[in-house]
Amino acid sequence: MKRIDLEFDLVVIGGGTGGPMAAVKAKEQNPQLKVLLIDKAHVKRSGAISMGMDGLNNAVIPGHATPEQYVKEITIANDGIVDQEAVMAYAANSFDMIQELDRWGVKFEKDETGDYAVRKVHHLGSYVLPMPEGHHMKKILYRQLKRARVEITNRVVVTRLLTGASGEVVGVMGFDCRTADFYVIRCKAAVICTGAAGRIGLPASGYLMGTYENPTNCGDGHAMAFHAGADLANLECFQINPLIKDYNGPACAYVTGPFGGFTANSKGERFIECDYWSGQMMMEFYNELEGGNGPVFLKLDHLAEETIGEIEHILHTNERPSRGRFHEKRGNDYRKQMIEMHISEIGFCSGHSASGIWTNARGETSVPGLYAAGDCASVPHNYMLGAFVYGRLCGQSAAAYCADTAKGRVDDGAIAAEQARIRAPLERSDGLTPFQIEYKTRRLVNDYLQPPKITRKYEIGLRRFDEVREDAEAMVATNPHELMRAMEAHSILDCAEMAARASLFRTESRWGLYHYNVDHPDRDDANWFCHTLLSKDAEGRMQMRKKDVEPYLVAIDEEERNAYQRLRVARSAEAA
Amino acid sequence: MTIISTSIAERLVSEDAEVRRLAVIDLPYSDEDDIVPLVLPRLADSDANVRTEAVRALEGFEEPQVVAALAPMLLDTDPGVREAAGLVLAEMKLSESAGPLLALLTEAEAEVRMLAFRALRALRVAEVFAPAMAALSDPDPGVRREAVGVLGYLRRSEAIGHLAEVAAHDPDPDVRRIAVGALGYTTEISVLPALTRALGDSAWMVRDEAAQTIGKLRMGPAIPDLVRAMQDEYWQVRVKAARSLGLLKAAAGLPALVEALAHPIGNLRKEAAIALGEVADPRAIPALEKALDDADPDVRKLSRLALTAIGLAQK
Amino acid sequence: MSIATTLTQVPVVVDEGKCIAEKGCTVCVDVCPLDVLAIDMLTKKAFMKFDECWYCLPCETDCPTGAVHVSIPYLLR
Repeated sequence: MKRIDLEFDLVVIGGGTGGPMAAVKAKEQNPQLKVLLIDKAHVKRSGAISMGMDGLNNAVIPGHATPEQYVKEITIANDGIVDQEAVMAYAANSFDMIQELDRWGVKFEKDETGDYAVRKVHHLGSYVLPMPEGHHMKKILYRQLKRARVEITNRVVVTRLLTGASGEVVGVMGFDCRTADFYVIRCKAAVICTGAAGRIGLPASGYLMGTYENPTNCGDGHAMAFHAGADLANLECFQINPLIKDYNGPACAYVTGPFGGFTANSKGERFIECDYWSGQMMMEFYNELEGGNGPVFLKLDHLAEETIGEIEHILHTNERPSRGRFHEKRGNDYRKQMIEMHISEIGFCSGHSASGIWTNARGETSVPGLYAAGDCASVPHNYMLGAFVYGRLCGQSAAAYCADTAKGRVDDGAIAAEQARIRAPLERSDGLTPFQIEYKTRRLVNDYLQPPKITRKYEIGLRRFDEVREDAEAMVATNPHELMRAMEAHSILDCAEMAARASLFRTESRWGLYHYNVDHPDRDDANWFCHTLLSKDAEGRMQMRKKDVEPYLVAIDEEERNAYQRLRVARSAEAA
Repeated sequence: MTIISTSIAERLVSEDAEVRRLAVIDLPYSDEDDIVPLVLPRLADSDANVRTEAVRALEGFEEPQVVAALAPMLLDTDPGVREAAGLVLAEMKLSESAGPLLALLTEAEAEVRMLAFRALRALRVAEVFAPAMAALSDPDPGVRREAVGVLGYLRRSEAIGHLAEVAAHDPDPDVRRIAVGALGYTTEISVLPALTRALGDSAWMVRDEAAQTIGKLRMGPAIPDLVRAMQDEYWQVRVKAARSLGLLKAAAGLPALVEALAHPIGNLRKEAAIALGEVADPRAIPALEKALDDADPDVRKLSRLALTAIGLAQK
Repeated sequence: MSIATTLTQVPVVVDEGKCIAEKGCTVCVDVCPLDVLAIDMLTKKAFMKFDECWYCLPCETDCPTGAVHVSIPYLLR
């Protein structure tokens, strides 16, 4: 285990979607800046979009939607708990980013005259822009990285940030997952773009890596931000997604919806009342799944052959190309039968939900010199395009910060401690395997943390996590690859505990299924119309506090705000 | 992990074609800053796989010398190389790249002409107009399809009559469909007969495109034809007709839209409800109130919104 | 030592007749986000070393000789 020391101005952690954009934009702003993009996989095919993406879910394109309308919809979808300035920073930059990606060679669907072929999924604005050839995305990003002369280091797992005397970022540490070499990289600023925490829960199949998210995205960024003293926001607002049963890939309502496909119950009927992709929608999904009308299906069998052919082309070549292979083995045919769906394991992912490392409209976290973009940061419902927009904002903010900042002193004690922590599993010849620790943690998450949330179960869960933490001190790794899994297991444990503590703190129910608390089943705006922040206290433990919702830029009138409530009432009246 | 430790420059000229091919694949991800001079010679490699990878490696390098070197690859003897060249050239964005592509429009091979037109579409250069017009009568449907696409992007009024002719009479349904969509750049009344005729095309995809394009262009005089399209045997076409009747706020569409509220396919009922809200005629109120009890929640929701819209319009 | 090796049928299969790893090819190993493929130092061919697959397919689609085939892991099928 060699030690390798490097020096850069800016280190971008994670080379999936937001990371490459942050690195390129920082270099564009200041070509003199020394920028390193570091990834635990290979940037060529890393992150949530390793095989591309089939479309934009939240394109704000003039003539089809306005930034104000978008901000309003996201505010309502998140039950009011949003920093509208941060959502607006996305919406106002959305179209410009689409045009830049278009110039870079990303292909968006256009009609026969060259106008963007925007589709409508929600009832108010139209935000969906398909990308039938979206599988080139990573290649295009890599070309831009080369053009901007960003340095790239692959297969290095970043584990911790180094902070200076005033808590500011002064470096990052990690190790090579093939050689176990220990890396100490001094820098002035860092951008975390590590994606979702998608390995907290266990998928229904029981296969450890059969997760909804790319399993590399296991919450490393959330954990390192916590240990560096950053605030994390609204972690009780879990991500739970509708997906194809067992396959665990998205059911792609955004792709099939504009073609006429929909989510149906066992009678083949539409049942979702909610207009927005939100916890409320997932609650309706969950109720149907568990109720007498379940299971739930993706219904396409009423569509024309030509339409199904087009859907198959998009779904089976982009994002999750193994989908066709899965269906084939099962004998599934979109033309002949509905496809069984299920809900995913829990996770943290602001791409579809609203939790993550707290950031403002400039991508700044609460730690000086630390920025975050994409699924790991707190700006809600950002999807892929939001990762790009915030990648750009973070790159620009970080470049400006670097210009005014000198390199800070690194703490040799902290470096030695981290090196010892990383080395420990390799030095043991006996103990528990990373697989065992991870499996048990995630199984406990399913047992005790999967909504509906019950206080007593959460308390038991926390006790059990403590036990696993003690066991994790005996983890053994026989090679650098297993060492990577061992370090990931620590991140997963951290995220599991964060999920539990944040959920226990908010003693109300909000965001539909994402935070449905059986002991506090009602929404309590008087006490809980606020963000929650999780951070590290003086003893290194997790502490919770409230944060006021920032003043709205776009007013939400009573009628709109109550749209959900009315739907819920209508539904229960029907049931009665 | 490298088993062979020779440099990438050496591997690019290895005796072994597979080693050369791997070197070309690795090049864009290597430490080499400027890969173009290293790749260009490999376009003339004796091995087709090496040439294919060399073409792919040049994707996105839109420099004059690269475009000039890639364009002739559409004439390569190997189909894999030609396909790769077609894909890479279709990524071109700058009008300066047009020259070498224009030179290919007179090639004997239909595939070459087709790929060249496709690559030229997004460049929108004036020089492609005349060849595209001429290619509307090309014997190859693929070439005609791409030529129609080029004219749709160019948006010139001189092309309207010719595109209308293609939309009506081309033997290939896909060419007709694209021609109908390509007419979606002009609100000139002269496109009306072509669009209304397309609503009666034998292929449903053409009728679907026509119903949609009429709405995009807000062609009021086509309203009676859209009303007839509400009886199309394909519900998909009816959905597009309903959408367009809504965009046109066509009161004449009222009976057909009300009737569609009772169609067995929920997608159509939903679209009819939206359209009735846009038409905002109070005569739709009883039908929409009935739809508040529809089995489909989307239809219920949209009927509620439509009733609100009608109420607002009355104020 | 109290650690066992549990056998498992892996989802990624490499056709050794087509694999050209011995010529310096590491494409599948490079693109795997989970780093579960490796080159066998004795056979000089690629193989799946760890059963931790997301069935995301870059290894198969990027393989220059079509030597890699990914099946959906058995537990999901």
